[in-house]
Amino acid sequence: MDFTLSQDQRELKAAARHYLSQSYPPARIAELSDGAGWDSAAWPELVRQGWLDPELGAVELALLAEEGGRVLHPVPWWVTVALALPVYQAAGLDLPGPATLADGSTGCRALRQPTGWVLDGLLPSVPQAGLATEILVAARTAAGIALFAVDPDAPGLTLTERAGLDPLRIVAGLRLAGAPARLLLDAPAAEPVLASVERRAGLLLACEAVGVADRVLELAVDYAKIRTQFGRPIGSYQAVAHQLADSYAAVELARSLAYRAACVLDDEPGDAAEAIACAVQAGTRAAVSGCQVAMQVTGGIGVTWEYPLHRWYRRALFLQARAAAGPDPLAVIAGELLQAARPAPEPIEGALASA
Amino acid sequence: MRIGDSEDEGSFRAELRSWLSGQIPSGAPHSWSSEQLRSWSRSLYQAGYAGLSWPVEHGGRGLPPAYQAIYAEESARAGAPDHVNVIGLNMVGPTIIRYGSQAQQATFLPRILSGETIFCQGFSEPDAGSDLASVRTRAQAHPDGYLVDGEKVWSSYAHLADYCLLLVRTDPEAVKHAGLTCLLLDMRAPGVQVRPLRELSGDTDFNQIILTGVRVSSDTVLGPVGEGWRVAMTTLAHERGTFGITLTSRLSAELDRLIETVLALGADSDPLVRKEIAELHLHLQGLRFTGYRALAELRRTGEPGAESSILKLGWSVANQRLTALALRVLGPDAAFDGPDAFWGGYWQRQHLRSRTNSIEGGTSEILRGIVAERVLGLPRTR
Repeated sequence: MDFTLSQDQRELKAAARHYLSQSYPPARIAELSDGAGWDSAAWPELVRQGWLDPELGAVELALLAEEGGRVLHPVPWWVTVALALPVYQAAGLDLPGPATLADGSTGCRALRQPTGWVLDGLLPSVPQAGLATEILVAARTAAGIALFAVDPDAPGLTLTERAGLDPLRIVAGLRLAGAPARLLLDAPAAEPVLASVERRAGLLLACEAVGVADRVLELAVDYAKIRTQFGRPIGSYQAVAHQLADSYAAVELARSLAYRAACVLDDEPGDAAEAIACAVQAGTRAAVSGCQVAMQVTGGIGVTWEYPLHRWYRRALFLQARAAAGPDPLAVIAGELLQAARPAPEPIEGALASA
Repeated sequence: MRIGDSEDEGSFRAELRSWLSGQIPSGAPHSWSSEQLRSWSRSLYQAGYAGLSWPVEHGGRGLPPAYQAIYAEESARAGAPDHVNVIGLNMVGPTIIRYGSQAQQATFLPRILSGETIFCQGFSEPDAGSDLASVRTRAQAHPDGYLVDGEKVWSSYAHLADYCLLLVRTDPEAVKHAGLTCLLLDMRAPGVQVRPLRELSGDTDFNQIILTGVRVSSDTVLGPVGEGWRVAMTTLAHERGTFGITLTSRLSAELDRLIETVLALGADSDPLVRKEIAELHLHLQGLRFTGYRALAELRRTGEPGAESSILKLGWSVANQRLTALALRVLGPDAAFDGPDAFWGGYWQRQHLRSRTNSIEGGTSEILRGIVAERVLGLPRTR
């Protein structure tokens, strides 16, 4: 048992934090949030720094996602590495640039025509499709689910960005009407890749949530140290301090679960369902409640538009909503525990009576 | 970053597990008499499982803290009781190793290991609970030593103990933390009286120690006179590395018992029960892996990480929730706690006992204050 980051992992985390904090102070995030919605110029730098290397392990990805959550990293990194990259890797292809994945396993049909494959269907929520150079689509074929790549400018494809709670995570609706597509993975090869995408998406979502929770706690603690009322910093009042202590506990438990899920995903990806469910539930909850505590502690200023806290709260709520699209974590956990449990032994009568 | 044992840890765990399975009967949980507890401690010593992380020159096995953690996990899994000398082994012994004279080390350490000398701890007093530094038990100097008068409370194992690590005030003029001294008190000395402290569960896990004109010699002082606070804090700190894992291991065994109960009573299809079990598991795993992080940090830096400060706090909440769920699962039968109750009233007892969890070993309020002040760096709340 050596449940701690290696030296390389520590350095990776520190380098990511340095780069992100230099590049994205809250004022810059506010500007992008209210404007372009992303930092389009940053992608080549991310590629250069290795953020999109296919060799990155789950722990390394977890650390980058956590650091990204801390600053609200304004690039479509998570959709690209969590949703799209495993598909390109499995197909033996290089990543073309920012990419995302639409799960059309129930809502989209693929037909092979003499000219090639075409897709038909409605996909109401495809994260960050508006920023993608290519959109991957899981669609039904006669043989089962297969994975396709579609050009966002393809004829027959209509992309509508939907107004969203988190302006840095705009979700689009796609209408496909005979849109030409390139087959990347046929049935049955696509199915296990989709399962691995789901696991990776859960892990990175949880890690990002930990980053959000960590950052808002820091924000609230810093404020509680300097904001004075009744002649004392408000952090010296137990009613304030104890809420922050509870937030700290929630962040640390969530972080431990996120790192554990990353380790399990690296070691035994097939057995990671319970670990990922724990990480997702603890992470999103720590993020949402952490923001709520931070808003309470920062008081009047904390609930203004001007103060950046709502940007993180929007992300926390986005992550919570996104998690709800996957399997219910508590149902996954209960299923594993109650299925795995051995039958109960006969109680020994009066076993405790003499104690 | 690695989860799972190293090769050596794995073989230690396998040996221990197989040894335990030959020692501990399986089946429903049961409690242990004092004589059974003593005999259990002797078996542990003979099998080489006492003092795992003590230095070799003091009779221990000199193993890293991870092995103590494996012991905690495996003994909880097997349903083994606490070593009756848990205070001696985990708290007093390491403090004697650090502060004791050669004579004290030679006298006490081998006997603590063998279980021959059982220790208790005399820190808290009726008027010094959370505010431990305000202890009033007085040790007045007299020729060759001290005369001790006062009262200690919440002392585990005092009814079985041969010796007590006692925190006393040797200098009434000094302010609070100064003027305190630690003594190794012989519990059979004239003037020492132990009374059981009955808790709301009806159990007597703790005791009151009344000290009336107890004469102690000056060679019983542990560490320098007037440095008792530092010595006492060392005692408490020794547990920080692995204590969290001890707690979560027990919680894990308790959750297994709850799941057995749920299945036995057919409550596993109740959606609220399923949800709460999942919540408890999630909380437990969070504590467990936070304990592993603290342990790895202890190995890396010599100090457990800051995150270890939340383990006891989180454990108390989880244990209280777990036993509350157990009673809800029992339904109307939760009102009975005699021999004819489910598992002889095991859950009723555990539930009542669990209310102590957020008080003993630092109240939740004190622990949140420690996190706020020492981890988050917030200004003092008092």
